[in-house]
Amino acid sequence: MSDRSRSIFIDVLLVGSVALFLAFLYVPIVTLVVFSFTGSRMLTLPIESWSTEWFGALLARPDFFPALKNSTLVATISMIFATVLGTAGAIAWVRFKFRFQQTFRLLTFAPLLFPQLLLGVVMLLWFSVLGQWLGFSTGLATIVIGHIVYVTPFALVIVAVQVYGYDETLEDAARDAGASGWDVFREVTLPLLWPGIFSALTFSFLLSWGNFYVSYSLGGTMRTLPTFVYSGIAVGSSPIYPALATLNFVPALILVIVADVVRRRAACRNVLPEPT
Amino acid sequence: MRIEHKSWRDPLLIGATVPLALIMILFFVVPLIMTGILTFQSSRYYRLAWTWDLTIWRDVFGHSHYWVVMLRTLGMSLACVVLSVLIAYPVAYGLATRLGSLRHHVTILITFAFLTDTVLKTFGWILVLDQNGVLNWGLSHLGFEPGAVNILFTPTATLIGMVYNLAVYPIFTLYLSLARIDRDLQLAAYDAGASRFRTFFEVTLPLSRPGLYAGAALVFVLSLGAFLEPKVMGGGNAPMASELINQSFSTRVNWPLGAALTLVLIVIGSASLALSAALTLRRRGGEQGRLSDVG
Repeated sequence: MSDRSRSIFIDVLLVGSVALFLAFLYVPIVTLVVFSFTGSRMLTLPIESWSTEWFGALLARPDFFPALKNSTLVATISMIFATVLGTAGAIAWVRFKFRFQQTFRLLTFAPLLFPQLLLGVVMLLWFSVLGQWLGFSTGLATIVIGHIVYVTPFALVIVAVQVYGYDETLEDAARDAGASGWDVFREVTLPLLWPGIFSALTFSFLLSWGNFYVSYSLGGTMRTLPTFVYSGIAVGSSPIYPALATLNFVPALILVIVADVVRRRAACRNVLPEPT
Repeated sequence: MRIEHKSWRDPLLIGATVPLALIMILFFVVPLIMTGILTFQSSRYYRLAWTWDLTIWRDVFGHSHYWVVMLRTLGMSLACVVLSVLIAYPVAYGLATRLGSLRHHVTILITFAFLTDTVLKTFGWILVLDQNGVLNWGLSHLGFEPGAVNILFTPTATLIGMVYNLAVYPIFTLYLSLARIDRDLQLAAYDAGASRFRTFFEVTLPLSRPGLYAGAALVFVLSLGAFLEPKVMGGGNAPMASELINQSFSTRVNWPLGAALTLVLIVIGSASLALSAALTLRRRGGEQGRLSDVG
């Protein structure tokens, strides 16, 4: 093989592996979306008739709306806490130098290295013992706490990347122009970090929204959408779960794309006014 | 990048670190300690009894059943690591070097697939791998006999699910390593007459080691806790450690047992993380040593 044809061969191999991996990732997702429009009860190919009846059947399930409400509530609260705590933590990670910084880093990063089920179980044990002493049982509040512990490290890493590429001379300029500490934060720091914070908000919301393990461990009798699906498919499959998948994936994809557009626009804005 | 030295009297530092640290201590570190403490208690009549003895540990190490499941978990996790890394390397390399402006769109597609509901994706795999599922339907149109692939509810299906859910982690760590490699080093190797393969094995691969070790360790640790895949895709025929832990809570209501099994997995996971960190650091030290010899 000549050097040139060999290099083309490697190019094709690498690009091909990316394409194959994308296909692998999207096989179950596309399958679910296709089956959500089936007209039959059976989830097998070929699909003979098409309908949207399963969306109606999903909405008619009495336990669907409580799960939807729980998921929305949990994801919204977790998103806010994870992003605020993660942003503060990211600034401390990257911009400050202080005693016990390594301990702080380890402490705030460790949950990322934990299998989610074990994270959930460890917290379940603690809440159970605590509940026995103080007289409460697990439910939405414990799910939210679990999600905050699980999601915050992700938010922290995302914002930290933004803090890392951040030009602090702009803060100095604002301070020289007479702005107070809070004004500098609100008018300079926050807008510059905003793309990272927005990504962290999106990421946190979706991670919490789609989380199964922690909700399953800490939910008690409360159900979120993933545990609703889990207990449903344990009993038997039905086209309402593909319908739920379609309702789930489309807004999530839009959200991910919007977050990326915001980040890229801001990146262009930050690059353009290059001082000469 | 300017770094500000802060003393613990600085309200800004306290505001940025203390709330987060408190949450992590209260709901992560203390529960871990509690898990350790609970392994020395026992369960009587479905209630926790504070007995402070080694009953549970004798139970865990004395039953071959637990050993079988633990070894199976380790085997599945190792297989998952090997497959994930083999898949992730060319994908991350292609992503870092060959895709140009498409790279961005591909990253978004991967991120989205990573972020969505795992239970639904796992259910999607059932529809794909079922005997009358999408895969067999597609294969029958290519001339294979109907029902050619019959792997649903076997360990193979479990493994597919685990790789599916975890391969994204090494892709990201490898991508970060590979994107940072100075292209000039590879060009220098070509100039010196090295072939593409030699350049890959002597320049690119060693420089991507941190991403490789980090990704492999991450997959290993996270796969130790796989629960959905063996339960849903494996059909519960070959339970892994997570299933034992789940049962010790839900059906046996034996918290000390669940705590002990959890702790065993945590110790195995932490040891493998420490090993990966040590390997990365030693390599880096070695390379720096070699460089300073030359200088």
